Amino acid sequence: MRCEQARQLFDAYLDGELSPALATELGAHRLRCAECRRALALLEVAGHIVGADADPVRPPEGFTDRLLACMEPSRATWSHRLRRLVYAGSALAAAAVVGLAFLGVFDTHRPGQVAGKKVERSVASASVAPAPVANPPVADSAIDEFDEEFDAPDSPLQTWIERTQANLEAKRQGGESLQEVFDLTILQWLDVLEQAKQATADAPTAPPALDPAPTARPLPPTPSEDD
Amino acid sequence: MSEPLLKMNREDERLLIARVRAGDRMAVRELVDRHKERLFAFIWRMVRNHHDAEEICQDAFLKAFASLDSFSADYRFSTWLFTIGYRVCLNRLRRRHPVSGEVDLSALAAGGAPEAGAVESQEAGEVRQLVWSAVDSLSAPQRAAILLFYRYELSCQEIARVLELPVATVKSHLHRGRNSLRETMEALGEQKLSELRNLSRHAG
Repeated sequence: MRCEQARQLFDAYLDGELSPALATELGAHRLRCAECRRALALLEVAGHIVGADADPVRPPEGFTDRLLACMEPSRATWSHRLRRLVYAGSALAAAAVVGLAFLGVFDTHRPGQVAGKKVERSVASASVAPAPVANPPVADSAIDEFDEEFDAPDSPLQTWIERTQANLEAKRQGGESLQEVFDLTILQWLDVLEQAKQATADAPTAPPALDPAPTARPLPPTPSEDD
Repeated sequence: MSEPLLKMNREDERLLIARVRAGDRMAVRELVDRHKERLFAFIWRMVRNHHDAEEICQDAFLKAFASLDSFSADYRFSTWLFTIGYRVCLNRLRRRHPVSGEVDLSALAAGGAPEAGAVESQEAGEVRQLVWSAVDSLSAPQRAAILLFYRYELSCQEIARVLELPVATVKSHLHRGRNSLRETMEALGEQKLSELRNLSRHAG
């Protein structure tokens, strides 16, 4: 066997895939060829070191605990998602109102009117829903209550609409970009939400029976539910 | 490598994975504990950065558990885990700037270590460092093939599955990887010999 032939068999020999007959041929060549003997010895030593050396690193302390914590869907995550959803919805609502204000739909100087046109909500609702016989007074009173709250000059909603109009006026005068007006309006809308939240928190607490007391039950580990 | 925890037959592994699928938290922990050391060491060898290795290892486990339904019991779980880990490694290596120097310099010298308690000559220590520095200089698929073959004792077929390459390509990577290791050892060995010769000339 020549050196070229022997070297072509090195990989099959190292992979353990050489037939016994060829392994003998290679062994015989190895005994009498110092160069091939050295080349094969280097390959074997390298393989031995890579295979047998101890690892110089280990996973950090607490790796498994951190991993399991990542896999458990927590209540905090859900509440965080819900909060994000509410804020996203609020931002969209704010954007819609900005659009309407931009078109001049709201007229805060004439309560109860939209774009200078009187809106009879109770009549409108009656025409849309032709059979409110079951409990019409309640529906009307709720709408009236909303109207009063909406039209109150110092209500957070009215204040916000006025601010929005002021922002748009500033834009018209060239002081602000549309993006700045939009950002400012969103921030002011979040203020309205915060005020509403504060008002709810200040309100008398619900009866204990209706209070949705959080249960401290841990969620079962469901690996496939991680995100 | 002797890993007593890995001496688990296929039936035990199948039962353990069934428990994981059923939502058994202890089974998840057991499966992670069985595989984390090998996977972490492999990933660290690929990226040579402790922080990255931890992130990639965690990511690989999360991906594995998230898609556990697609795992086939025809394969070893470790092979499947290495496949996911290698894929995440490659993505990370592609994002990494080639000359960013994001390599643990502190760990460069720690290529490997003899077995605990073994006394090693200076010569053997030098060869060891030489081999590991040569492994580090290999391309990602060559390094992965060499590590999986020698260190984790995977067959060429299993390596092909991990690297998601044909078996012939894996054999080619192994061949080139081995030759690179041999050439590096020969070149550095000769350089060391010439240095010794120069030293003896100056001493004379």
